[in-house]
Amino acid sequence: MLPMMLALVILLPLMAALGCYFLRVSTIRTMIVLGTGVCIAATSLALFGQGSFTYSPGTILGISWDSLVTLADFALLFVILYYAFKLKNQLIKVFAVLQIIPLAVFELFFVDHAAEVPAFYADSLSLIMVAIISIIGSLICFFAIPYMKTHEEHLHLVKSRQPRFFFYLVLFLGAMNGLVLSNNILWLYFFFEVTTFCSFMLIAHDDTEIAVKNATRALWMNSLGGVAFVFGMIWAYSVTGSLSIQAILEAGPMDGAMLVPLGLLCLAGFTKAAQIPFQSWLLGAMVAPTPVSALLHSSTMVKAGVYIVLRLAPAYAGTFLSEGIALCGAFTFLACAAIAVSQSNGKKILAYSTISNLGLIICCAGINTTWAITAAIILIIFHAASKALLFLCVGTIEHGIGSRDIEDMRGLYLKMPRTAIITIVGILTMVLPPFGVLLGKWMAIESASGDLFVIVMLSLGSAISLVFWARWAGMLLTGPLREKVPAESQNILTRFTLTVLAAATVVVSLFSPVIYTGLIEPMVGKTYEITGGVFSSPIGVFAVYPIFIILAAAFIYAWIDTKKSGNIQNGASYMCGANVKEPGVQSFIGPMNVPVEIKASNYYLEAFFGEEKLTMWVNFVGLALIVLMLGGAL
Amino acid sequence: METLILMILGIVVAPVLGGLVSGIDRRVTARLQSRFGPPILQPFYDVAKLFGKVKVINNFWQVFCAWVYLIAAALSVGLLFAQSDLLLIFFVQAIGAVFLVMGGLASPSPFSQIGAQRELIQVLTYEPLIILVFASIFMVTGSFRIDEILNYDQPLLAKLPLMFIVLGYALTIKLRKSPFDFSTSHHAHQEIVKGVLTDYSGPYLGIIEIAHWYETIFILGICALFWHTSLVGVVVLLATTYFAEILIDNTMARMTWRWMLKYVWSVGLAMSFVNLIWLHAG
Amino acid sequence: MLKKFIDNSRAKSPWIMHFDCGSCNGCDIEVLACLTPMYDVERFGVVNVGNPKHADVLLVTGTVNPRNAKVLRNIYDQMPDPKGVIAIGACGLSGGIFRECYNVLGGIDKVIPVDIYVPGCPAKPEAIIDGVVAALAKFEGLKG
Ligand code: SF4
Repeated sequence: MLPMMLALVILLPLMAALGCYFLRVSTIRTMIVLGTGVCIAATSLALFGQGSFTYSPGTILGISWDSLVTLADFALLFVILYYAFKLKNQLIKVFAVLQIIPLAVFELFFVDHAAEVPAFYADSLSLIMVAIISIIGSLICFFAIPYMKTHEEHLHLVKSRQPRFFFYLVLFLGAMNGLVLSNNILWLYFFFEVTTFCSFMLIAHDDTEIAVKNATRALWMNSLGGVAFVFGMIWAYSVTGSLSIQAILEAGPMDGAMLVPLGLLCLAGFTKAAQIPFQSWLLGAMVAPTPVSALLHSSTMVKAGVYIVLRLAPAYAGTFLSEGIALCGAFTFLACAAIAVSQSNGKKILAYSTISNLGLIICCAGINTTWAITAAIILIIFHAASKALLFLCVGTIEHGIGSRDIEDMRGLYLKMPRTAIITIVGILTMVLPPFGVLLGKWMAIESASGDLFVIVMLSLGSAISLVFWARWAGMLLTGPLREKVPAESQNILTRFTLTVLAAATVVVSLFSPVIYTGLIEPMVGKTYEITGGVFSSPIGVFAVYPIFIILAAAFIYAWIDTKKSGNIQNGASYMCGANVKEPGVQSFIGPMNVPVEIKASNYYLEAFFGEEKLTMWVNFVGLALIVLMLGGAL
Repeated sequence: METLILMILGIVVAPVLGGLVSGIDRRVTARLQSRFGPPILQPFYDVAKLFGKVKVINNFWQVFCAWVYLIAAALSVGLLFAQSDLLLIFFVQAIGAVFLVMGGLASPSPFSQIGAQRELIQVLTYEPLIILVFASIFMVTGSFRIDEILNYDQPLLAKLPLMFIVLGYALTIKLRKSPFDFSTSHHAHQEIVKGVLTDYSGPYLGIIEIAHWYETIFILGICALFWHTSLVGVVVLLATTYFAEILIDNTMARMTWRWMLKYVWSVGLAMSFVNLIWLHAG
Repeated sequence: MLKKFIDNSRAKSPWIMHFDCGSCNGCDIEVLACLTPMYDVERFGVVNVGNPKHADVLLVTGTVNPRNAKVLRNIYDQMPDPKGVIAIGACGLSGGIFRECYNVLGGIDKVIPVDIYVPGCPAKPEAIIDGVVAALAKFEGLKG
């Protein structure tokens, strides 16, 4: 059963990708994407039944899978090198060569190929990641079907580029599943590179000048991560003599010699998770079509970086490296939240907030107590769902109003009521209790409370993120609402994915105690007593069910009262008594009896949080922290 | 069971106390200005009157937001009385803050819009300070749970004197006292009319007023934790703190949000650092 | 019982809004004087609000002209019921000394219904307080 399931989650997307590429008919493509999505989503849930496992696939047609992976790995690196020459980018050339040569030397002279290394290992963390990738990823792929159609209509393309798009999108799902299930570090590296490559191709998808430029930046930064990975891997092998990640972890907390390779591997994770000072590639990646941003650049691929850091956490527990990682993560959390305040581009806000949340997760990995690891896993789950939802909402809004600027979304409720409400749901699940992201943040802050610097950064960061979320949610509602707003028409697939994701973010939050007892506790160890849906420990309590119930009742009551208010006397908004009296017009009578339209805009606090102002300093500090982290390890 | 009773007790008693505090506040303020001032029960008359007015709304989401604000504020006080987790209570309270802002933004009136933006900046200013105060309480007592904190045998004030002042800043902002009352103020004729509350009227303004009473009790409750060991201590501490607030309110001019953000963050963070390092050293 | 408390409270908490229609400022100063420690109308629960949506009683000073008539009307409409209007000073009552001006329509009651007229040029604070208290009688009358 197990080999079958693994094949389904890793190889099926590969097949489907090829299908999308070669069968160039849109209905067939739609069927393939839908079928694959349902299949892998179902399989990922079934995998939970397996519990944790180790597995090696053996051989195919007499060739071992190990050598196949190696072969594919070199092929991929040469493809990247090819693109480096095509783009004439020196950095990528250097980084590609720096990966190929050490890897070749490593494979040829160092690695003991006879040693038995289990290729796959899964525990709750991997299984949760697989579920996120397969379920949320599939939903995003569904969303992409109508989205790409409209997208190409907007671009007036003669020849559809969708086959290529879906090839990489679906292929990515398989690669990502492979990445989180790998135990052999060489396999992990291979999948790591595949995701880098998919990301590069998808960012460049629209083939505009800016898209290619940003894709190039993404490629070189991630290749730098690849280089760090290769060296980390080789170094780690020379110390422990094993390719198995589990074997490395079983050795327990390391000191001295092992910290540098671990630091390098974490650095690879940092680049992938776009931590400061590598954040610029993720921001540039926002030029890609929205499903790409949702899938790769918020809910899954960037989580691969986080996953690596988190996976290795037991190995560096209690060391200086751990402290360094916590500081780096906390700093990214604070700095990116701050810059997000000054942004008005919706996707950029989401991008900064994504980096910021990844920073929080990495910070949790660095704090490295059972509490913090629990927090990290909870954050991974719920952040993926909420953020994917928000990206898809921005995509839908962009197609609806032709802009992704939040200033243009003022009063969106009047035009796109359904999307507006779903966006607000997404936003609220990001910042308010009792939803999952906040549960994670609560655990993070409580576990960080012993550490002065980390707690200061976390508290500032969490306050700052409240600002840009709250105002965004509020703006969508702005407007004189007199009568019922006409319903909004949406493509069936768009509506389905948005509704399912929105419902999922809410409902899964309700089940967070169950997720904790069922999945997280067996893996990281017990930290909380759960009674009646209340997380409690001697240090803190978080009453999920009671708060959920009370708030649900509150919302329903408030909604009923709101509905009743439908027919009560409507007042025009206050404009010093000079309102223009026509219905639906928001103007006041100005000088010379001329109507002046009112205009409001957000405070972006540029003087404090401006992007140009902060980026350089932030990068500088980020770099210093990383140097400190690695230097301390040496 | 006991928690539930405490919680309900809190939810019932808090608005009464909050209203009284606000009545006393107005009375004392009047005395400081050598006036007589209204009866102590005046806030209750005001709210009752507001509930008797015709409902006029501009955007029906305001109704929704007003109710959620009230319920979140009540819930946070309930959890405070039920001796739950400090951080959790604070986050629940933040629900109210977010919905108040959303309600303000829902109205297209420019006054309401600016008020809501300023309210957000107020939230931005006090939130990290309060989290730091909680973290410092954790460092002293080893827990975020109020029941555990109450078991601690010394007044926290002795260990965290500067953190109490930091909390004082948050209290001033939260109570909308000068010099920090720019999102909306208790006094008439602000430059942005009534800020975030401009387009709330009648019963909905009443709801928000009650929610504000809850918030007053919430923040005073947290102040009370600093001298939990003796009842007299609590009363003295709260009375002095609140009187200081009124005094500040009456002697200060309203400042700008830029000044507030810079000033409160720098002073607040500096005090926190000093106090926490002192705690570590001691 | 609750309803009775609400009814009673109306008379105890008249929030006033002061609108200057075109006064010479004499009456305005006197209105503000009511709030000072000398007269302290807050004793009766009076609060001076800046927003018609929160007000119960509208105090209008000065004469009405075509330009500000619209604003006056708008502000009056934005006050939620129950509400009262007090016209203050000779100008507010009838146009006063400006009655004959080319642009003056006359007193407040040309535009909105007025409940209480407080005469004087300017009206004395005592008279204004008296007017407010008389307006409360209107709210008292709502009891029932
Ligand atoms: S009544 Fe007299 S004091 Fe009052 S506004 Fe008219 S002219 Fe001025």
